Amino acid sequence: MKILLIEDDREAANYLVQALGEAGHTAHHAADGETGFAMATGMDYDVLIVDRMLPRRDGISIIESLRAEGNTTPVLILSALGEVEDRVTGLRSGGDDYLAKPYSFSELLARIEVLARRSSPSEASTVFQVGDLCLDRLSREVTRGGKKISLQPREYRLLEYLMKYSGQVVTRTMLLENVWDYHFDPQTNVIDVHMSRLRAKIDRGHKTQLLQTIRGAGYMIRA
Amino acid sequence: MRLTALFILMFVVFSVALLGYVGFQSSIEIQRVQARDVAWEIRQLRNLNRQRGTRALAVAVQRLSNQPGRGIYYLGNPSGQMVAGNFRFIPSYILLEPGQYSFSYSPQRAFEGFELSGPDNADASEDGKRAQRKAQAVVRSLILENGFRLVVGRDIVQRRDFTIIIVRTMLLGVIGIILLAALAGVLTARRVLARIETINATSRKIMSGNMSERVPITSRDDEFDELAKGLNEMLDRIESLMQGLKEVSDNIAHDLKTPLTRLRNQAEAALREGSTDEDHRQALEKTISESDRLISTFNALLLIARVEAGAHSDGLGRVDVSRTVLDVCDLYAPAIEDAGGLLQLEVEPGIYLNSSRELLSQALVNLLENAIKYSLGSEARQPGSRTAHDGEREDDVSDPCKRSDELKRIIVRVEQDAGEVRISVCDFGPGIPAHEGERVLERFVRLEKSRTETGSGLGLALVSAVAKLHKGSLVIRNNPSAAAFKASSGPGLCAIISLPKIP
Repeated sequence: MKILLIEDDREAANYLVQALGEAGHTAHHAADGETGFAMATGMDYDVLIVDRMLPRRDGISIIESLRAEGNTTPVLILSALGEVEDRVTGLRSGGDDYLAKPYSFSELLARIEVLARRSSPSEASTVFQVGDLCLDRLSREVTRGGKKISLQPREYRLLEYLMKYSGQVVTRTMLLENVWDYHFDPQTNVIDVHMSRLRAKIDRGHKTQLLQTIRGAGYMIRA
Repeated sequence: MRLTALFILMFVVFSVALLGYVGFQSSIEIQRVQARDVAWEIRQLRNLNRQRGTRALAVAVQRLSNQPGRGIYYLGNPSGQMVAGNFRFIPSYILLEPGQYSFSYSPQRAFEGFELSGPDNADASEDGKRAQRKAQAVVRSLILENGFRLVVGRDIVQRRDFTIIIVRTMLLGVIGIILLAALAGVLTARRVLARIETINATSRKIMSGNMSERVPITSRDDEFDELAKGLNEMLDRIESLMQGLKEVSDNIAHDLKTPLTRLRNQAEAALREGSTDEDHRQALEKTISESDRLISTFNALLLIARVEAGAHSDGLGRVDVSRTVLDVCDLYAPAIEDAGGLLQLEVEPGIYLNSSRELLSQALVNLLENAIKYSLGSEARQPGSRTAHDGEREDDVSDPCKRSDELKRIIVRVEQDAGEVRISVCDFGPGIPAHEGERVLERFVRLEKSRTETGSGLGLALVSAVAKLHKGSLVIRNNPSAAAFKASSGPGLCAIISLPKIP
């Protein structure tokens, strides 16, 4: 995956470029808004990571210009401003996801991988399948090995989100944001409890455990 | 002093206006009196003529003519010759056509042969001067039954003279008053300025850093004392706010510096010689979790500051409170059950408020986390204390015999009446000592000041700030239902957010 990082903090940028490289991606770095905009229009990237406050040109204006030109590359906004309103203005400008500083690398990685996938057609399909687990988005029916699994509405949405991005790490924060629409971090491990219940419903009695916990990162569903 | 000058100027303007008005009014009044006198004299003379004949009339006119005062009299026979009177040159058109006339004349010629008799003959030179001028007369003329012409009138100059005398007298009075007013104004201004100067002096002292300085209050109990009292109250409030701010910043310093110090110590320890790779790994993991905790404390502080500053108040909209509460409960119910508790919901549906879903959810989350931590977690085992170390939860779950399931309930209630919406979270845990009730709302207060436990101590402060943003309040009290259980480990706790309905 080719990633452009527009970030003015050299140290943070160097770390990210290196860590993204270790995760198997190619990352380019631009240290100010103008350079970043020129690079984003000149080359075809899979994901842009844009800091909100940049020298010479701020992140929001870069995203707005890109979108005005018809560039649809997914954008992850990085910002020290974590308030709900800041998030809303960021997303309204055309950003696809918003991550408040400070963040953990695993969170950032999970988010850009999901973002890159977002533009693929598989996301819009009506049936998700992972191994012998099937989720039909029209009838809202979930089966494993042909056997129907009955889920609570919330459990269904949780599973739907996980299967939409099957094979990719999904963090607890991402689940909280996308399934519950909350933008804060609870102290209690509420998500883990939900996940263990979901796991009991879909994996219990099966040899292959589809729902996996990725230590220090989050969850992943894969065959 | 400018104020005094302005005051005097205003006084002068008003006085002049008053003077003009009085002059105008008195001139009108004199005119009215003159017209009435003339009408009366004419009526009298007419009756005389009718009853006693022309001769008696002529005598009467002559007698009136000789009286002092500037009356104008003329009696002429039908052939146009003057029979009696004191006014020689009546214009002929007045004699031909009866009616009311006003005309100018030369007094010297008109009264020739008659005694000039002003109201005040002592001032002869002035009178003479006046006589030189052209004068103005207002007369009424009529033709009597026997064909004689009678003209009775008054000299208007007399009217003007009188008005001038009134105005001149008043002018003197007004000048005197203005001088007195100026004097009084200067004296008052000096007194007022002196009072203002004491207030200025106090504010200068406060600006130079002496925050405890206050404006002195006199025994006069006037507006200045009211002002001084108001200012002093404001200063008291500011001082207490500043005191609060200082405590908060001390707390922030403590709560951020302590983990920062730990962070630093761990990094140093990892660098020490002889430590193994495993030590390094552990130190780094600790460092990350410590910094995460720091970040969440910092975020909580920022959020409280923004909520308290009202930064969110423009982002409020119509929110389904019942739905919002149920959503949060949906998120927390499994975790509460896993901790051996039970989430009991008594939520009245369809309650709406002007609010923010995010903030309301965050507030409820904080209350639920507290209830879980203190009534289901390890802290629940230590009666009277909400501040024990952060223990493992499992062993609490493993011995459910210790307390009945009734005491493991957390009750979330949403109800409304005409005026307000109440969201409450009640548990059957150890509660808090009565005298600490208010203090728990303060930032960073964890009772008994134990700071080893997880949690920033900011949870309730945020809930309180959110309630205040809605112009509501947060009340913490013992759970009344808990008294029913004698085996209860404590009085339980109810946190009640009251939010007024504002149309």
